[in-house]
Amino acid sequence: MPRKKEGALSVYRVLDLADEKGSYCTRMLADLGADVLKVEKPSGDSTRNTPPFAGDTPHQEKSLHFLYRQANKRGITLNLEVPDGRRIFKELIKKCDVLVETYPPGYMSGLGLDYENLKQVNPGLIMASVTEFGQTGPYKDWKGSEIVQYALSTTLVTSGFQDGAPINLPGTPAYDSASLIAAISILVSLYVRGSTGEGQYIDVSAHECSRLGLYPWMVTMYSYNLNPNMPPPPPEGRLGAAIYPVYPCKDGMIRVVALTPRQWDALVKVLGEPEVLKMPEWREFFYRIANAADLYALMLDFTTKYTMVELFERGRQEGVPIVPIYDVAGFYNSPHTKARKFFVNQKHPVVGKFDAPGPPYKWSSLSCDMRSTAPCLGQHNEDIYCKELGFSREDLAAMRRAGVI
Amino acid sequence: MPNAPLEGIRVLSFGTGAVIPDFGKILGELGAEVIKIESKDNMDFMRTIGADPNNIGGFNESNRSKRSFGVNLKTDKGKDIVRKLIKVTDIIGENFRGDVMRSLDLDYARVRRIKSNIIYVSSQGFGQGGPYSDYQAYGPMLAAASGLLSLWKHPTDPYPVGANVPLPDHMASKMAVVLALAALDYRRRTGKGQYIDMSQVEVAATLIGEACLDYTVNQRVPKPVGNRSPYAAPHGCYRCKGDDQWCAISVFSPDEWERFVKAIGDPDWARGPKFADLVNRLRNVEELDTHVEQWTLQHEPREVMNILQAAGVAAGEAQRSAETIDDPQLKWLNALIEVDHPVSGRRLYPNLPFRISGMKLPPSRPAPLLGQHTEEVCRETLKMSDDAIRTLKEEGVLFCNT
Repeated sequence: MPRKKEGALSVYRVLDLADEKGSYCTRMLADLGADVLKVEKPSGDSTRNTPPFAGDTPHQEKSLHFLYRQANKRGITLNLEVPDGRRIFKELIKKCDVLVETYPPGYMSGLGLDYENLKQVNPGLIMASVTEFGQTGPYKDWKGSEIVQYALSTTLVTSGFQDGAPINLPGTPAYDSASLIAAISILVSLYVRGSTGEGQYIDVSAHECSRLGLYPWMVTMYSYNLNPNMPPPPPEGRLGAAIYPVYPCKDGMIRVVALTPRQWDALVKVLGEPEVLKMPEWREFFYRIANAADLYALMLDFTTKYTMVELFERGRQEGVPIVPIYDVAGFYNSPHTKARKFFVNQKHPVVGKFDAPGPPYKWSSLSCDMRSTAPCLGQHNEDIYCKELGFSREDLAAMRRAGVI
Repeated sequence: MPNAPLEGIRVLSFGTGAVIPDFGKILGELGAEVIKIESKDNMDFMRTIGADPNNIGGFNESNRSKRSFGVNLKTDKGKDIVRKLIKVTDIIGENFRGDVMRSLDLDYARVRRIKSNIIYVSSQGFGQGGPYSDYQAYGPMLAAASGLLSLWKHPTDPYPVGANVPLPDHMASKMAVVLALAALDYRRRTGKGQYIDMSQVEVAATLIGEACLDYTVNQRVPKPVGNRSPYAAPHGCYRCKGDDQWCAISVFSPDEWERFVKAIGDPDWARGPKFADLVNRLRNVEELDTHVEQWTLQHEPREVMNILQAAGVAAGEAQRSAETIDDPQLKWLNALIEVDHPVSGRRLYPNLPFRISGMKLPPSRPAPLLGQHTEEVCRETLKMSDDAIRTLKEEGVLFCNT
């Protein structure tokens, strides 16, 4: 594949056997320039069936989940459950730097494709396994899901209104936190490999990572309140509405983060210095948390006089952080999002043209462009199998017929 | 193999709150020497949310394995000392409000003249180069500004309130580590440094990329789905026995549904056509959830989890800290470690959550006291004399923990 510009990781190739637990990781590596080859079973990755779909039509090239998480990657098909497929896989391993897989513990070794075996083929290989609960331990064979990991992360029980059921986060942030940790482990291993030449095996679980990705402070803060001869601290509840209040305004909602007395004073100024808000007790953060419902009722009279953007800008002038609660359209259309060119227009052979989220950063002299849309099923089979591994197109036809690719 | 993966790498952290502090902590735990540049008059605000700046849980978690260097950056001599440190630094991380680093003469253009191959990571809430670059932003605001918060509610809730959590701060910090490590590896191969401008609000948006595409491809503003799933049922967070006790359950495949029904005692309601397959379960999901909750209410959440997991069904209790400390798998993984802090004593902190086969990580060190390592850094890194250090302290340029 021709590369217009160099990315930080352009010299590396990654084999991607990851489902939704690890696809954010390999997308990150791809965004940074790595040549990520998504290896799918001949019938296609299961996330090709994940809704929603472009035009609401279930179709293997139209899953928005797949389109988002596989962008910037190339795609080939390969059946690891047949001997010919495994033989080809080992050829691919010879030419790659990193392998990311998310199968349940034991699956890869059952196929003879565990790290010990693959290391024989490529001693510099860095292999990362991202699982629900890890390769070892009492839960290693347990089943997981995004909401199950979110529940176990300590964060679910703090999400939502106190008197309602805890509310799951949108997307797959528990899995994505495992992806972030996997990417850190992989890059540290590549960095060390630069001086030692040695490969590594990395074991990462959504269960362990989700707490750290979402809210690492909770257990620590609890342990700060655990003292000998003192009663244990009360169980954690759902305080989002009190700590970071949400108020309606003329054209939507805003969120206010006033932590210090100075920030509260600024908020009062933003709202035109109403007398009822000048009661000195309101300056105290913990008083406001304890009396959040009363404060909410008072605030309605004032916040509703302004638009979201008016409050956002006045907050900046006075020194209190206020922000509009945008829906996805509001974020997409925000002048700031546009100015940073976060969305990048892409053209997909089946779905057509659309704006896709790019990487959340810019580099001064290296590319982090959107190079390609998510691969269609088997799109790069010829590039890899014929041009690199020397198979003929007739061989490919035979391999497809035999269920190898 | 070096003693620690990032041995020999020096990081200067101009951080406040969560993102750059957590970024520095991870690099420190990987063996880099991380120096936190601290001010006495304008402290990291996480030091100010309690009575004693050296005894705050959140701060002490996000600043482990660092040294604290107390310096007044408003003085010319203070700037000069920091410039000397930059000369021997590999990575700078900063998440001050946009423009603050420039006002301190420490923006990338100027730093690069001191150290040409520096890796410089800026992480503002909204990122550089747009009308909101210098707006103050905390984690919960980024969830709001990115569209993420709008989807984080039950369809019946009047408005979203998020959680007690500064999300996506601790995702953004890890993203920043990924970027710094990629830049470091690039520098190892090419000798070239880099400036990286990361937007935390965009990191939040990357967590809901599918929803963004639903808008740009289908021209539809996505609506919150709450705890339900369009391809699993039952799927949700169910009330259990006890006060505010909950367990999450996900049933995806026909096989898992069979296992689920058996595990909860094969009740009659589950055998009717209403719940026979996923399409029907989704069609009758309100009724399904009521039945499921009638069962979960009879058991404590850990019991629900254990019964279902034993049957091969995904389930997880909505843990609080006490259950987390007691979690058998986390214990097995040594996921929580005790670190002794000179003021706070022995407390629990999360360990780095990965195992790399051939790599040894140094033990975690407690967060520094404010200005704890000022003299040490002056002597060891800057080779300054005791007299020079004393003079600068007297002049109010440097300060130490006292």
